[in-house]
Formats: sequence, C-alpha cells, structure tokens
Amino acid sequence: MKRLLLALFCFLSFSAFANEPTATTAEATDTEEFNPGEMILHHIGDSHEWHWFSTGNNHFTTYLPVIAFRPGHGLSTFSSRQLAEGKVYDGLKLEHEHLVSEDGSKVYDFSITKNVASLMLSATLLLVVFIAVARGYAKRGTGAPRGIQSFFEPIIIFVRDEVAKKSIGPKYERYMPYLLTVFFFIWFNNLMGLMPGGANLTGNIAVTMTLALLTLLITLFSSNKNYWAHIFATPGVPKALLPIMIPVELIGIVVKPFSLMVRLFANITAGHIVTLSFISLIFIFRNLGVAPVSLAFGLFINMLELLVAILQAYIFTLLTAMYIGGAVEDHHDADYQMGGGDGAEPAHAH
Amino acid sequence: MPDSAPTPRPKPDSSPDRLRAVARYSGIGAQMAATIGLSTWAGYWLDKHYQTQTPWFTLALMLLGLFAALYNVIRAVTKEP
Repeated sequence: MKRLLLALFCFLSFSAFANEPTATTAEATDTEEFNPGEMILHHIGDSHEWHWFSTGNNHFTTYLPVIAFRPGHGLSTFSSRQLAEGKVYDGLKLEHEHLVSEDGSKVYDFSITKNVASLMLSATLLLVVFIAVARGYAKRGTGAPRGIQSFFEPIIIFVRDEVAKKSIGPKYERYMPYLLTVFFFIWFNNLMGLMPGGANLTGNIAVTMTLALLTLLITLFSSNKNYWAHIFATPGVPKALLPIMIPVELIGIVVKPFSLMVRLFANITAGHIVTLSFISLIFIFRNLGVAPVSLAFGLFINMLELLVAILQAYIFTLLTAMYIGGAVEDHHDADYQMGGGDGAEPAHAH
Repeated sequence: MPDSAPTPRPKPDSSPDRLRAVARYSGIGAQMAATIGLSTWAGYWLDKHYQTQTPWFTLALMLLGLFAALYNVIRAVTKEP
C-alpha cells in the first residue's frame, strides 16, 4: 500500500506533463461538426454564463451578472443573457469569453463568472459545514463527536498531527486555521469540480496562484533570522561559493510557491481534460462499440480523480506546512531544500 | 514488499513520512530548472544588451547556473539527518 501510494504520488505529481498532448491530439482530430478540443477548453475554462446541459435545441443555462467598469463610462451591470450568442449590449460584447468594448477601450471585468459563482457556492457550503462542526465542539467540548462532526474530526486531527505538528513543530497552533482552510477549500472545490456541471475552480491558475501567494506571504511574514541566515549565509557552503548560492536560494523562495501553483492547476485541469477526452471519443468515432470502452475508461479516470482530489489537497497543505516549518524553525541542523521535516521531529514527539 | 518483511513492529505512521520525504525533494527539480533557465536568460539578455559578437555571457552564465543548480541538488540530497 505504501509503495502504491508512493508510486501514485510520483506519477500524479507529474501526470500533467504526460497528459498534455491529449488535448492537442483531440484538437487535431476534429470533425466538421464536433470539435473536441474546443469543447474541452470550453469546459475547463471560465465563462460568463453557467451552461448545464443541452438537449437538441434547448440549452439549460444560468445567466450570471456581468459587472464591467470602463474609465470615463462608469459601471455597467446587466445579465449575461444580453451577451449570449455574440450579441452586443451597452457597447460590450464577448470575444472568446473575454469581455471587450466595441470601440476597443479598456474594460475592467468584475463579473460574477462561473468560477466566481462556484467560489461563492463552495464558500457558503464550507461555512455551513464547518459552523455546524464548530458548534458541535462548543456544545460537547472534548466529548464524543456526533453527526457531521464525527466525519470531519479524524481529518482535522490528521491535518493537525500528521501535517502541522510534524512539519512546523511547537509553533504549529497559530497556522492551523490557514492549513485547515486551505485543505478543505481545495478538497471541497476539487470534488465540486468533479460533479456534473461543476466549475473547474481549482484548475484555474488564478485561484491556485492566489493560494500559493498566500502561502508565500505567510512563509515570509513568519520567517525568523535562521531562515534568512540559511539563504544569505548557507551553513556548510564555502564563502567563495556564496555569491552563486545566494541567487539559487532566492530563486528557491519563488520556485516553491510557483510549483505549488502549477501542481494543483495542472493536476486538476489534466484530470478534466482526460475525462472529457474519453467521453469525446464516442462522438469522434460515432460508433456504439466505442461507447462502453470509453465510458469505462472515463469512469476509471473519474474514480482516480476522487483520489487526486484529496491527495492534491493533502500535498498542498503538507508542502505549505513544510515551508512554514522551514521559516519558523529555531535550530540549524535541519536545513533541506524544503525546510522543516524529520530532523526536527524528536524535539516535539508527543 | 521485500523490505517490510523482517520488522516485527511497524512504524505507526511510516506512510505519511515516506510521502513527506518525497514531498520534500519534489521541488528540487523545479528549482534546478529555474536556476539554469534564469541564469541562461540573464546571460542572453546581457549579450543582447552589450551586442557581443560571441555569446560569452550566455555561455558563462549558463554553465554557472548549471554548476550552481547541480551543487545545490548534491548539497540537498547528501544532507540527510
């Protein structure tokens, strides 16, 4: 099991690069009516309306509000129904899901897009669930958990004991709110993205960039002098090499959150692309025999995505905790690329 | 699993620890790539800026970046507790 998990971990962390050609193959094999590449990119991208499904000529779509600001023109708010099928409204139109003005002037788009709506929905869901959990603790204290509380307690305990305590050390407590929020936010949104009609929120690079940026800021603001000593006077490095090693260490500060951003974005987007590609095969071949095979593969990938959903949430939280651990640790003997970790463990084993 | 056979008492949380070790080194590759890439780009920019006939800056900074990245990787993986 350990080996399997390890192999999966390595495989899944880099699966995005292996899977990327799928999209281009799908694009290359387009037919005159059905264009899989376009369909897939439409599905994983953001949009101003929430398209659920279509039956024949009927489209089931939720139109979301468009909020646009133009310098000199002011704010304009209207339903995205006015822009459907390339229509122009109030001098604005959609060009490949980008809001542009007809006369080419600058438009600041603050619309409630599909991803923003999904974010609001998941934030509400998270609030409802975790207020219920928190209320359980307020009422029962350390007593036996009940209801939804008992489902989340082992996960919260896991994040506290296996992720925060082991990676950060004795100062773990003040980072628990962020770690738990990040974990459940990514997990819930990954799962909501897998639901039919769900938005690809955690597969949006702006969302993962914001999460990675928060991790970077928290790491930098909680760093102590040991952290900076490791960067500007790395122990065990000859003085003559320091001019070379300081840029490398500085690059390392940026690369860590960057890899967090790309890992989550690429894993989730790749999963969606692969699933959609398998479903597209039916419409590419237009053959009844292909359907069971491609559905079976699609279902398999979907099941794998359920694992990836929690695995990526775990990896993001774990790496965040390790970066924070590297920034707050007090002693010198445990310096690795990622900071924190096993060397610091005996000091706070409980 | 040949390695787990003789241990009588398995470590209580070895699976997360393994993942932890993998997670720790998973960023080294990215950092290596970034180091080499950025230093090469800096050399390229310098060559363009000074309009050199032979791209000495690119060559030198690329090799320097390669050396620094390799040194960093070796330093990181040999520093096991």
